Amino acid sequence: MRASKISLGLAAVAAAAFFSGCKPPTGKIARTEALYLAGSQWGDPSTFNPLAESWQPAWPVNDRFNLMYETMVSYNSLTGKVEPGLGTLVSRSNDSVVVDLNPAAKWSDGKPVTSTDVKFVFDLGRRFKEAASGYAVEFIAEIKVASVDNGGIKTERLTFIVDKKQRNNPLAILDLLQAIRIAPSHVFEPLIASAGNKLDSVKKMKIDSAPVVSGPYNLKSYSSEKIVLERRDDYWGNKALHNGEMPAPKYIIHPIFKSNDAFAIGLQQGTIDASMTFIPLIGDQKQFKVGTWLEKEPYYLPGAIPMMIFNVTREPMNDKNFRRAFAAAIDHDKIRKLAVSGYSVDMRPGLVMPTVLEGKFFDSAEAAKHSVAPGIESAKKILAEAGYKAVRKPDGTLDYTTDKAGKKLKTLFITSPTGWSDWEAMVRLAVASLREAGIDVREGFVDASQYWPAKSSGKFDLLMDKPAAVITPSLPWSRFDAVMSSRNWQPSETGSMNQNQGRYNQPGVPSYNAKVDSLLNIIPLTTDSVALRNAYVQLNNIFLDDQPAVPLVYLPEQFYQFSEKTWTNWPTEKNAYGPAQLPWVSAGINTLWKLKLAK
Amino acid sequence: MLKQYPTARFILQRGGWYFITFLVAVTINFFLPRMGTSDPVEIIMGQSAGGLSEEAAHAKKNALLKDFGMAKVDDQGNVIEQKVKSQRKVWDTVTKSDIMVDVYTSEAVRTSSLEQFGAYVKRCLQGDLGTSYIKNKKVSELILDAIPWTLALQLPTIVFGWIVGNLLGALAAYRRGNFDRIFFPVALFVSAVPFFVFGMLLVYVFAIQFPIFPPTGGFDPGMVREFTFEFFASAAYYYVLPFFSIFLILAGGQAIGMRSMGIYELGTDYIKYAKWLGLKEGRVLMYLFRNAMLPQLTGLALSLGTMIGGALITEMIFSYPGLGLAILTAIQNNDYPLIQGCTLLVTVCVLVANFTVDILIGFLDPRVKAGLQMGGN
Repeated sequence: MRASKISLGLAAVAAAAFFSGCKPPTGKIARTEALYLAGSQWGDPSTFNPLAESWQPAWPVNDRFNLMYETMVSYNSLTGKVEPGLGTLVSRSNDSVVVDLNPAAKWSDGKPVTSTDVKFVFDLGRRFKEAASGYAVEFIAEIKVASVDNGGIKTERLTFIVDKKQRNNPLAILDLLQAIRIAPSHVFEPLIASAGNKLDSVKKMKIDSAPVVSGPYNLKSYSSEKIVLERRDDYWGNKALHNGEMPAPKYIIHPIFKSNDAFAIGLQQGTIDASMTFIPLIGDQKQFKVGTWLEKEPYYLPGAIPMMIFNVTREPMNDKNFRRAFAAAIDHDKIRKLAVSGYSVDMRPGLVMPTVLEGKFFDSAEAAKHSVAPGIESAKKILAEAGYKAVRKPDGTLDYTTDKAGKKLKTLFITSPTGWSDWEAMVRLAVASLREAGIDVREGFVDASQYWPAKSSGKFDLLMDKPAAVITPSLPWSRFDAVMSSRNWQPSETGSMNQNQGRYNQPGVPSYNAKVDSLLNIIPLTTDSVALRNAYVQLNNIFLDDQPAVPLVYLPEQFYQFSEKTWTNWPTEKNAYGPAQLPWVSAGINTLWKLKLAK
Repeated sequence: MLKQYPTARFILQRGGWYFITFLVAVTINFFLPRMGTSDPVEIIMGQSAGGLSEEAAHAKKNALLKDFGMAKVDDQGNVIEQKVKSQRKVWDTVTKSDIMVDVYTSEAVRTSSLEQFGAYVKRCLQGDLGTSYIKNKKVSELILDAIPWTLALQLPTIVFGWIVGNLLGALAAYRRGNFDRIFFPVALFVSAVPFFVFGMLLVYVFAIQFPIFPPTGGFDPGMVREFTFEFFASAAYYYVLPFFSIFLILAGGQAIGMRSMGIYELGTDYIKYAKWLGLKEGRVLMYLFRNAMLPQLTGLALSLGTMIGGALITEMIFSYPGLGLAILTAIQNNDYPLIQGCTLLVTVCVLVANFTVDILIGFLDPRVKAGLQMGGN
């Protein structure tokens, strides 16, 4: 009797917990009112606090997603233009970046968005060591506010003064303006004050019930299965930015799936409208009304470069001839076709991508002069000239490699996270050609718990990585910076590095090339287009000469694919009114106002 | 002591052993994840410290260590730091070669695993399982949120699969003939198919080729969890494929085991004797079933105990809400509190299931208790 009472009690507790967090009954949301977007949130939504640590907030309060909390400006990856957000970019110089705050901008509680809110967020790092946006402090010396008259309307003008003594990088300020979400100071200042003027406990709050936001949508409900946003019909931007129109979907729902296959099936059956997940053989999905930016192969626009980073402090990776031989042996075409289903255009030598935005910084004649001839035979030749010998087994397969002194080299491992299927395929294909060329290298698939620490501590021979993986105004500078900058150089035995994890170009040693850092410092300050191109060409040449990393293939920044079963008029190459991004990122958000219901 | 109450003695003694096992398991659960080389702070730093300056990264690391209870703090709550000597290679322009110099960095003083264990036990006794590092949510909340789905999927499938499998197995053993000739190979085949293959097969056939059932999820994506008929109807509809993906395989496996046991028991002396005595068929069958069932019961206990971890693959294929994936991500991220919470749950489940079956077998099989009464353990 007692046992049954206990189990009844337990069941009641479990049921209560199960249904807690639910809003009052709402019934079912009509399919035609909801837009189903997926692929950003993979686990339980943990917090919707815009001040939380960068990796913690759930969609859409993470990344440059501006559905709830908006950024000052947004970046259009299609045109390369900085588009208005809460503010409009007025000018950019080497001394400052100037933005006019839109006087119409309002929080969902009716209060205006003011310079106090902007300063509050950007200055948090100055006030609190533990602020998540603390890194912004190194770029911005001061934010000046002035009142200007914009055609009879009083407007707040914000001037972000470049901190010349620290990073001296106006380009990065543009990045910050389209990445840092503005949060209401009239909500958070009192919270900080009540926490004894400490940020710690405020950062841990969930901010998940009726948050005060400025964006077109607000949080309606969430659980471990999905996040539901509801349209704010009184969003300030409808009138100020979108000719008085409202976004088409009343709800945006992000289902939380547990495998890539679930997305593929969802798109095919039309239960998901758009996603950013890798789906093999996307061409075959056309019959199910699944579309991509380009109608034909490669279907996607390049956005980021997965690459292998050499740990140049280890032998034989400290020998640039070895690195060049390594690069020559990689079969980019095979990787493009087999590892990423052909979703990529042919590679150019170096770190500049063949896009509208970056293309102008590339010089093919120069690149050809400095890059290695691709192919197994070329790799064998470079290896032999540099004194490396491949010792093969009787059946012709590689046994081991010896160095210049005839010493047997240890087998090298390519550290890559296990389960990332496209990366795994790239590594396997690379290993096959490298072994054929005579380099003793093996796949080193490791658990995420080993991959991330190895990355910063430098405990690897070669590392798979995707530096500067998001499209920002500072590309391709940020990619070069992430791979080659020697700022904050730390030895792998004692320190950790958050970029240039291969520890290339160590300052203070004879091989140090001061030119690299000087180019990286000059580019953000260069506005003359000829000088800028020249600087990039020089930097790319050094990259090709020294080969501190091997770019493998181009991948889209986001796998933007959509179903036309419920919603139509998605941006594509032929209907290029918006960037090839999901309608939650940066300028991609404008898609929401253009979507139409399928008939 | 308790000589005159053998049943109570039996239960107490078993219970005591289980309690000791529980304590050992909890200790191992705590220390095992900490024996690896990487800690959660390093994982988060690797993931999110890109582009930070040395100073900012240092501050961030200290904040994490403090949050996770892995750094010693002073009375004001500030992380206590110590100078650490290490060596760095630099180029000496005078000697024209690389030389090693001493450098000093400051690092947070870490709390020892033993100190963390003390804090963990203290918190546990207060009913607090801690807060997940990665998900920033109370472990108890995470578990309570996911466990109803896991239980709802696993418990009925395991229990029904067990009952149906055993009944069919016993029937096959007793009947033999054509029924067995068809049933046995089918059951053998079904039980040999891995869960994930069968699950994917079901999705392919019944959700993609013939879209009768939804392929993924726990209920209609346009709904929220609520106490309405509509919600439960939707959940039931989404339940069908995941249920059968486990149920059929489990029933097949149980049936094979029960059939073999049944055939073995049919050839034993007591059955022959019972038949020779001319007992009714039903009574003989009952004896047979009771004896053949014992090893099957142990199997049931094991399935029930491991169901939470075992749910992972099914939950992934069907994107079904539940605890399986939580355990996997916790382990991948070295999220100590969540690992501990989940393993504690698994430990309790395994022990309770085993204990229950142990007692049950004690009642069903008098030999077990008799052994104890005669002075055995």
